[in-house]
Amino acid sequence: MIEDANRIPAGSTLHADLCIVGAGAAGIALALALQDSGLDVILLESGSDRPDAAAQALYEGTVADAHLHPPPDHYRVRRFGGSTTLWGGRCMPMDAIDFERRDYIAHSGWPIGLDDLLPYYPRANQLCEAGDFAYTVETAFTRPVRSMIGGFDSETFSTDTLERFSCPTDFGARYRRRLERGPARVLLNANLTSLSSRPATQSDASTQPQPVDSAQVRTLAGNHFIVQAQGYVLAAGGLEVARLLLASPGASGRGLGNARDMVGRYYMSHIAGTLGTADLSHAGSVWHGYEISDEGIYCRRRLALRPQAQRALQAGNFVARLHHPRIPDPGHGSGILSALYLARPIVPYEYAKRLYGDAPGRGATLAHLRNVALDAPGTAAFLWNWLRRRTLAERKFPSIIMRPKNLRFSLDFHAEQEPNPSSRVKLGQAVDALGMPRIEIDWRYTGRDVQTVQSALAALAQAFGQTGVGRLDYAPDQVEAEMTRYGAYGGHHLGTARMGTDPADSVVDAQCRLHEADNVYIASSAVFPTSSQANPTLTVVALALRLADHLRKTYAAPRAPIESEIGSEAR
Amino acid sequence: MTNKMRVLVLGATGYVGRHIVQALAATDWAEPIAASRRGAVALDATDTTALVPALRQADAIVNAMASSPQDMIANAQALRAALAGTPMRLVHLSSMAAYGNVEGPIDEDQPLLGDLGPYSAAKAQAEHILRDCAQAVMLRPGCIYGRGSPQWSTRIARLLRAHRIGDLGAAGDGCSNLVHVDDVAQAVLAALLRPQAGGQAYNLSMAQAPTWNEYFIAYARALGATPVSRIGARQLRLETKALAPALKVAEIAGRKIGLARHLPPPIPPSLLRLWQQDIRLTSAKAQRELGLQWTSWPDALRRD
Repeated sequence: MIEDANRIPAGSTLHADLCIVGAGAAGIALALALQDSGLDVILLESGSDRPDAAAQALYEGTVADAHLHPPPDHYRVRRFGGSTTLWGGRCMPMDAIDFERRDYIAHSGWPIGLDDLLPYYPRANQLCEAGDFAYTVETAFTRPVRSMIGGFDSETFSTDTLERFSCPTDFGARYRRRLERGPARVLLNANLTSLSSRPATQSDASTQPQPVDSAQVRTLAGNHFIVQAQGYVLAAGGLEVARLLLASPGASGRGLGNARDMVGRYYMSHIAGTLGTADLSHAGSVWHGYEISDEGIYCRRRLALRPQAQRALQAGNFVARLHHPRIPDPGHGSGILSALYLARPIVPYEYAKRLYGDAPGRGATLAHLRNVALDAPGTAAFLWNWLRRRTLAERKFPSIIMRPKNLRFSLDFHAEQEPNPSSRVKLGQAVDALGMPRIEIDWRYTGRDVQTVQSALAALAQAFGQTGVGRLDYAPDQVEAEMTRYGAYGGHHLGTARMGTDPADSVVDAQCRLHEADNVYIASSAVFPTSSQANPTLTVVALALRLADHLRKTYAAPRAPIESEIGSEAR
Repeated sequence: MTNKMRVLVLGATGYVGRHIVQALAATDWAEPIAASRRGAVALDATDTTALVPALRQADAIVNAMASSPQDMIANAQALRAALAGTPMRLVHLSSMAAYGNVEGPIDEDQPLLGDLGPYSAAKAQAEHILRDCAQAVMLRPGCIYGRGSPQWSTRIARLLRAHRIGDLGAAGDGCSNLVHVDDVAQAVLAALLRPQAGGQAYNLSMAQAPTWNEYFIAYARALGATPVSRIGARQLRLETKALAPALKVAEIAGRKIGLARHLPPPIPPSLLRLWQQDIRLTSAKAQRELGLQWTSWPDALRRD
């Protein structure tokens, strides 16, 4: 059932087996997976069904360098459905190498491996509505599929792995009915403000796990109540999880789970950018668009740096896609791209960033208008397709695909970011409307991140040359500037409550449970120790489903009322 | 052979009736008497005076008559009257629809609300009428699919090929409660043979039935009607609000000139409601007491 938290009697205490905080991809996946578990679940969601500026404003905070990171209230949404109301839908699992400890990537290594997630990825794929869990061309298609670059067969880069696209599915809209009719109690407008532990009675309180015994909840309309549960799951996204932990005192008084000053550190995103010119006019064929799989999913090949090449280059994980030329530069002559450039004031912030060039000259607008006029039939056909296959379609065509006539593409890359304890999220002095401290984001990248991109690009240029398909031209000295042109990749908030076996360098254990409080779990990309090249949502959902299994075992211990009565008599 | 069980099958020319007759004929213990309004044994199953002599020729009766709600009720009343005082085994094909607008796991002890329109109400009422017959066995199948099933195989295949259905998103999340027509026929045989089935009701739905979306996507792939289309809420509204009434009118007109079956099938609001309704028949009792094993649906899609 779905209720408004403002209708809960003020000052009351609600009881449940589990209290989940956040109804986004993770929280909704978890609640759905627990529907037939017999557990009493309360799911708290700060937002409601509609965009709500006051709720969204609770996400405001500051960033250390506005060029390197978008404002904290962008690329994430405080609303039923969470940031899946905004996401682009790109799905891909992590690769086996992502979980390994690699001596060339500082602080790398997960306490779990790909095999631990494989049982959950197919169901995660289903919840994301991305079809079969088949991420290679051979497994996803029974028919022959166009090569990405004809004649390109390289030992450093593979074009046989796929990315798949969700509708993109808004988990709130898609699963609302199931939650409405399900047993979990979903409370909208409910903001967790603090998790309280029982007062420490032992002298070594900071080293012994202390269970959390209540959650304080407030609404913006002034209501307040308490939720008491056996277990708590924070599923509020990589930034908010850190904030909620730090804002709860915990046994140490330094923040829940933060006795060792680990919460909020190792904050990662992905290193991304668009650069260079890939001239593939010598390739046998080029196909950089989408294929539709039998079950109806948009799939796309990409250039993926093979694991052995990553090791040889001592580079992080890296993928690249063939991309249309840079939009702000009217030199591309494309009516579509120019139309998009001219329409940038109406494109949502999160998707408009790359439409703004570095101060285009006065003539630019005119040149773009000229492109639109000269390329009118092409532009009209594109707009018609866009209307039919994207605007009006429930499964949306994922992105703009523009094939340059001269087969000169730019390169769009997405790379792993090395974990770095100095890249962090912390609480500031300012507070929000509920009195919660706002966050301060200080995102940083390392020399390794620059080197990952540098060496991967050099290897790609070499592979293009060796296979004779064409050439990749870029300015190596501009790589760092290009990869940070738009700062941290928007919306990927990772690592702030990292998973590990040692409480000295991690926040949660392999079951995503706080080392410091044995009844508090994290279902979020906050637990990722490393970032992979993959967009995080699919793995977040898989981890949530895995957590659901663990919670079933831990909290669904058979309740035998007769036995417990006997027990209490005996006592 | 004289010691064979003579089984009067009402509605024997219907889709389910035909399969029951075939299954009975394939046994070495039963002899079907296929009765229907226009069949080999012509019989008006809503008429007590016609039923009484027919019952005299039979040892057991299977009621698979499918017709209008009024006729279903008339049939039940006539059957009860004809069977009065005769402890003859009656296997009555009821339906999941008898439960009405309920969701969640549903076992045989649930009350029959019959509140999903005239068909649902008639199914519930017919069971209520026939409950008085001492040896009645109520079979409540979910959605019967399999070779040539007009409702859940051929119609679905036509809609999938036309890409009018496919992946329906939230509108296809309901449990399909599919049961293969062969399994229904097996249930009828078991219900005839097992003495302890008398007075019992049995849900018939495969264990772990797929959701409608899962069924549609797998079926479309088996048919080669790919890539499967995502059908949005807007298109479904158009189907139920505009296209369905028009097709219904055309169907009524077409029936007069014998063209009705060439028309595309409509998707009425009731169908869309069913695809969303998360009713899950629990059929463990039929497995246990009738010894049923459910046909694997992916196998059936490949084979049928």
